[in-house]
Amino acid sequence: MAHANPDAVFAPWDDPVEKPLIQFKNVTKRFGDFTAIDDLTLDIYAKEFFALLGPSGCGKTTLMRMLGGFETPTEGTILLDGVDIGPVPPNERPVNMMFQSYALFPHLSVWDNIAFGLKRSDMPKDQIGDRVEQMLKLTQLGKFAGRKPHQISGGQRQRVALARSLAKAPKLLLLDEPLGALDKKLRHETQFELMDIQESTGTTFVIVTHDQEEAMTVATRVAVMTEGKLAQVATPEVIYEAPNSAYVADFIGDVNLIEGTVEVPAKRASETSVAIKWSATAPAINASADTPPPAASSVTFAIRPEKVAISSTKPKAANVLEGKILDIAYLGNISTYHVEVAPGLIIKAQATNAKRVSRRNLTWEDHVYLSWTDTAGVVLTA
Amino acid sequence: MNWRGRLLIAIPYAWLLVLFLVPFVIVLKISLSDIALAIPPYTPNLKDGFWPMLSVLDLENYAFIGAGAVVAGFAGLVLCIAMYRVIFPRIRRAMLPETADTIFDSAAAALTALAVAIVNVAIVVAVLAFLFPALNAFVEIPDFLYFAAYLSSLKIAVISTFLTLLIGYPIAYAMARAAQHWRPTLLMLVILPFWTSFLIRVYAWIGILSTEGYLNQLLLSIGVISEPLAILNTPIAVYVGVVYTYLPFMVLPIYATLDKMDDSLVEAAEDLGCTALSAFWLVTAPLSKPGVIAGCFLVFIPTLGEFVIPSLLGGSDTVMIGKVLWEEFFNNRDWPVASAVAVILLMILIIPIVLFQRNEQKQRELEG
Repeated sequence: MAHANPDAVFAPWDDPVEKPLIQFKNVTKRFGDFTAIDDLTLDIYAKEFFALLGPSGCGKTTLMRMLGGFETPTEGTILLDGVDIGPVPPNERPVNMMFQSYALFPHLSVWDNIAFGLKRSDMPKDQIGDRVEQMLKLTQLGKFAGRKPHQISGGQRQRVALARSLAKAPKLLLLDEPLGALDKKLRHETQFELMDIQESTGTTFVIVTHDQEEAMTVATRVAVMTEGKLAQVATPEVIYEAPNSAYVADFIGDVNLIEGTVEVPAKRASETSVAIKWSATAPAINASADTPPPAASSVTFAIRPEKVAISSTKPKAANVLEGKILDIAYLGNISTYHVEVAPGLIIKAQATNAKRVSRRNLTWEDHVYLSWTDTAGVVLTA
Repeated sequence: MNWRGRLLIAIPYAWLLVLFLVPFVIVLKISLSDIALAIPPYTPNLKDGFWPMLSVLDLENYAFIGAGAVVAGFAGLVLCIAMYRVIFPRIRRAMLPETADTIFDSAAAALTALAVAIVNVAIVVAVLAFLFPALNAFVEIPDFLYFAAYLSSLKIAVISTFLTLLIGYPIAYAMARAAQHWRPTLLMLVILPFWTSFLIRVYAWIGILSTEGYLNQLLLSIGVISEPLAILNTPIAVYVGVVYTYLPFMVLPIYATLDKMDDSLVEAAEDLGCTALSAFWLVTAPLSKPGVIAGCFLVFIPTLGEFVIPSLLGGSDTVMIGKVLWEEFFNNRDWPVASAVAVILLMILIIPIVLFQRNEQKQRELEG
């Protein structure tokens, strides 16, 4: 999240006075017997870059198509600026969409593709040319204005599609897997371009993606979806650091999940501390939670690999586990160690490769200690 | 290229040479001969020796059927098309600003260009006729039957192509919009008539269209008409027969282009402010153009030389060149005139065939 002024944090969702641009109210969408969206309620605010993230078939595309007007909700209402847009056909919505396939008109030049929506609007003809030039400049496509879509590269096509959907200055822009067809390097560059364009035009963007890294990079807020429901809606930091369920923790990034039961708290323990018994022999895991779950309830302890330290000598820490290195995944900048701490329980620990590999002192079959502080992990009840 | 490559190409060329070019040369030779009461029924032939045979060949038969007028008309048409292609882009640029590109604007520009082209050609013809009076003899038509048959075939082919398009496009569109699992069945239903002989299917229409036929019986029984309609042996029956027979040739290429089309294009057009109808005109229609052109040629080319349908369903007043050709060969036994008619028919057909090939090639290039 690159915002010009660090003092004014962009967080309209925390402001009770702020009115949302889009409101889903108990929206359900069924296709025959299949429920694509299940009683979903969601607010999206103006100027947000909102990401819908989830595996394929989770309903994220259906949700977006309902905003575009290509699907109508079976139950519930969708409000745009406080107006129910259920009965409004796609051509009358102040919403534009960038399609996954780009859907560029193959018989029209780049110029005519961008001008297509403007010609259908009530914009005076002499202003259309200026607007198209402006869009070509924004997306750096000036040189290709006269070409047909099949005469330009994939990245250029992606930009034409973006320019075309932005040309009418919609209140809301929908992007359906906009970078899916690009190779990895171009995708990274384009993500930052998208963010720049979103900021400079001040348009609200809703992006659908299955790439969690992309969602984390571009979005102000991320909605993680599963089976037609929202698992969690929060900023990328919150989603990553404080997932509300094992599903979200597992879906975003790499995580160690340890199941256990909450022990009766010791007398001297602070109010926020939780001890989780996960094995008959090993010591309990010390963690903390704002509202500790009741004793004897079963919970999942989630901790990210980069928060687990690995050492060959026993360190002093709130949690220390002994284990044996089974595998090392060398990724260049970091290495991930798979350590077996109990029969069948493997915990991943990450360490940056500050030293060169030849001087690394940990190797396969080594006996090591894993450690983390009592605030490094999250206690999940769901 | 090695000898294997050459051989591979030589096989189809040899095939064409033997099965098309050689018979064509024979027909061409007969068309330049004279009628005779002999076997074969023309003279001269190879029995007279090769060079003496060639020396007595003449263009008499072509003059008789009015080939000069056909060639002149043809040249005029080609000139019109060429001129149209030159004028149309200029008129479009002059008449319309960059931003106007609706189908109606284009149609207006096209009509203007066509009118200008026709007037220009008419002026050229008038000047030529004035400067070279000898040309009048060239376009003289001794027997109007053949010229009328060419014109009437052209008219029937154009009208039935248009009717087939009118009926075929909605069918193809509905097929392409049908649910995925229905499409193979629908495609099958379109192809199914080919499983029966074409002759039998056309014959069946006699049973439907005749005065005592099923159609008249149905209409009489429900009281729409009090007298049976005379449909059989009229041009209407010929149109019914042609449209029925060639409908699959129109539906299949249009279906192929519509089926390939990305559905999200229409959604994108609607998203950008088009109504369903304008999305069709601005996106679906232009993108299905190659299919429409291919379908039109596939109907037009065989209909122009059609013989079976007019002879079974048409009356004596429906004159088509295919029927005339048949009568010259088998009723009059005038092989030389019949051959001349066939050669001119082939010449007329070459233009649409070349245009068809160019359309196919252009589409292949677009697909890369």
